[in-house]
Amino acid sequence: MSLIKLCQNSTKTILFKCTESQGLYISARKLSIVPSIYDGENPAPKFFSSGVQIILKRLTRPNFEKVFRKRTNSNISVLRTPVYKFLTDEELKTEQSNAYKSAERLLQMPPVVKVQEPVDDVLSKDPALVGYDSSTYLFTDITHGVANEHRLIIQREPDGTLRSCDHDVRKKLNQIYFPMQGRKLRDPLVFSDPEKLNSLLERQKYEYILDRACVQYEPDDPQYQKLTSITYQHVDMNNQYDLIRSTRHFGPLAFYLTWHNSIDNLMLELVQTGIIREAVLLMSLRQAIKEDLVNGEESTALVSEILPTRIQLSKPEFVSEEDIQLDTKCMECLDKYINNNSAMKSQQGLALQGFREYYQQLIEISRGLQKAHGNA
Amino acid sequence: MATKLLTIRNLLNKPLSLLMNSPHYIKPTYNLQTFSTTPIASVNFFNKLPAEKLWKSVTSVSNAGAKKGRGKGAGRIRIRDLNRGQVIGVGKINMLWPGLSAPVIRGRELLKQQRLPDDPERMEKLIKLRDSMTRFRRLKLSPIERGWSGSRMPGRSIGPPDPVGDEEFTGFDTKVLQLRSLLIMKGNLGRTRNFQAMVVTGNGHGLAGFGFGKAKEAPSALRKAKNRAGKKLMNFETYNGHTVFHDFFTAFGKTKIYVQKKNEGYGLVCHRAIREICQAIGIKDLRAKVEGSNNLQHIVKAFFIGLLQQRTHQQLAEEKKLHLVEFRQENSYYPTVVASPSYVRTKDEIPKDETLDFINYVMNDRVILKRKKFPRFYETMPHYEIYLKKYEKYRNHERIRLNLKTEYGEVKSFLTDKYPEEKKDEEA
Repeated sequence: MSLIKLCQNSTKTILFKCTESQGLYISARKLSIVPSIYDGENPAPKFFSSGVQIILKRLTRPNFEKVFRKRTNSNISVLRTPVYKFLTDEELKTEQSNAYKSAERLLQMPPVVKVQEPVDDVLSKDPALVGYDSSTYLFTDITHGVANEHRLIIQREPDGTLRSCDHDVRKKLNQIYFPMQGRKLRDPLVFSDPEKLNSLLERQKYEYILDRACVQYEPDDPQYQKLTSITYQHVDMNNQYDLIRSTRHFGPLAFYLTWHNSIDNLMLELVQTGIIREAVLLMSLRQAIKEDLVNGEESTALVSEILPTRIQLSKPEFVSEEDIQLDTKCMECLDKYINNNSAMKSQQGLALQGFREYYQQLIEISRGLQKAHGNA
Repeated sequence: MATKLLTIRNLLNKPLSLLMNSPHYIKPTYNLQTFSTTPIASVNFFNKLPAEKLWKSVTSVSNAGAKKGRGKGAGRIRIRDLNRGQVIGVGKINMLWPGLSAPVIRGRELLKQQRLPDDPERMEKLIKLRDSMTRFRRLKLSPIERGWSGSRMPGRSIGPPDPVGDEEFTGFDTKVLQLRSLLIMKGNLGRTRNFQAMVVTGNGHGLAGFGFGKAKEAPSALRKAKNRAGKKLMNFETYNGHTVFHDFFTAFGKTKIYVQKKNEGYGLVCHRAIREICQAIGIKDLRAKVEGSNNLQHIVKAFFIGLLQQRTHQQLAEEKKLHLVEFRQENSYYPTVVASPSYVRTKDEIPKDETLDFINYVMNDRVILKRKKFPRFYETMPHYEIYLKKYEKYRNHERIRLNLKTEYGEVKSFLTDKYPEEKKDEEA
């Protein structure tokens, strides 16, 4: 263990003053969005439970065209010439499975955890050291192979108190000795200046904000939770779920909305776009987290039927008999939910009615087609 | 006659002087006292020959010289019109000639012939005017109209081909690729000069063609070539509307061209004639290397042949009976199937020695020789190492300055408040 003394006078200037939160509240007032953080019950056990994870991944609706969309972050001025290969069926399958693996990595959700608690841990008080120096001394262990969150970082104050450092000092020191690529020592202006954040939100650069926040903060950082909360609420208010879909942030968004009892907008969007299987998945997510649904058991049972089916990227245009059975079940389940648990009964009911009519036509067309092909 | 009269007067004068030999006599003065009797021939070739012939004697170049290209371009002596800038009635001596260079009556006054003060700048002005005629001036074109080189035709646009019947070539544009004079022998006329033009025309959306035209005059050769090109249009498919389907090799005569498909934004990196053809077709990104003969007509023909021999992705997949899969770096190398055959072979069905590499296959197993990259001449020198050592500590400064500017608005750090920069006397 090597003990490192940090430059005495710089300690004070290095120390974070968490003034950014004030700035954020101002921006929040402007937007009439109040950021809410996970400061009550710990959401982590629910978020990491396998059932919820599966549902969240499915709700992300991964579209490979969007997951592997054109990214120009390689700092090359001219795009590289594409590579072509002649592949047999097996080789193509292995390539595709490799791509699915990398898609899973790209879609890995940032964890949702409880906000960190302030560290107040006095190790010792040595009155003999009072007035020894006017600065705070920081000591850290820079051994490799120790996780940043378990690293030993302590401070000796001018009054002789030896205590564990608070999170902001820990973060700073960790970043100095073990820099993380893309993370800055100070908060970037986008996050500290509410006007800049506002302009980003107005331009609907949600993914950028969320990605940048992921790099800059740890998931239990209150600043991170405030930023993501504001962004999620902005997305919810403007019904711009499609901008977040197929990215790793949709799962946390869905979890956030469910946790804070505000899934009605998302539910309405799902029913209006005619993807009712996902609507049922959302119901079961609420059941898993909140357990306040009348027909919760029914929806949970449906999940196992829905998961093996293909991901719907848009409204169905042709349905088979199995699809019809499943969708009818989903519609019944959804109908009960809307009547008993929804806060937007009339709108969602209308949307469901519209979908029912559309679906009826679709069934007729599909059956007619099958008959014409001589399969029925 | 006059001389005779004078001799008679001389004879008469003598007795008169004798007669009038008195002190009161005043000798009379005569106008023609110093008169020469020798004849003057005021004729030389300046006033015997017309200006045209005189100028020719100065500017003409011998036949042999003209063949060598003498008397052309910047050093050429030019015919000047010496009458330019001169007015009748105005000359070296500044005279007022009523009725010629001035009105007869000005106001109520009758003008009289008189000498005015000399104009010293008159001659200078004339010389300046004459000099301006001699300077060699190239025909200037606007940068938009300009071709490959100055005011010469190759590379210039000459508009769409003339309509055939009611069919009009809308959206077409023609570019001159070559315009040259040829000498041909004729039975009765001997050696005569002909112009040959090669042009390419296209609409930028896949339709293009090239044509040749020969005529006695350059414009008619161009017109012929343009109209022939319009009649020989070919359709070329492009990949996503920006490039060729695959790399290919093509040759005509001794000309060899290696063409490479490129991604969006690469541009046309190739011979200027190939660039014009690509623009006519609508290809935006491509690299082409011409090897062997630089014969322009061969380059054009080889490139067109190569384009025609391209195979679409579907054709390639069918030929190989394998999926054709595209991997793009910007899409994190996600495998996109661009073409699938009706029947896909399994691994066992593929012979061991079959070419499976895509580039090798489309190039017909021809491999481009890639030259080894040598280090730059200075990189092996001792001073370069010294330079690298010396500037190593500054290598990150530019980025630090930028970061400080974004953070503080100027180049300063958190230490500047405590230890401010010492101000110089001049600034203070």
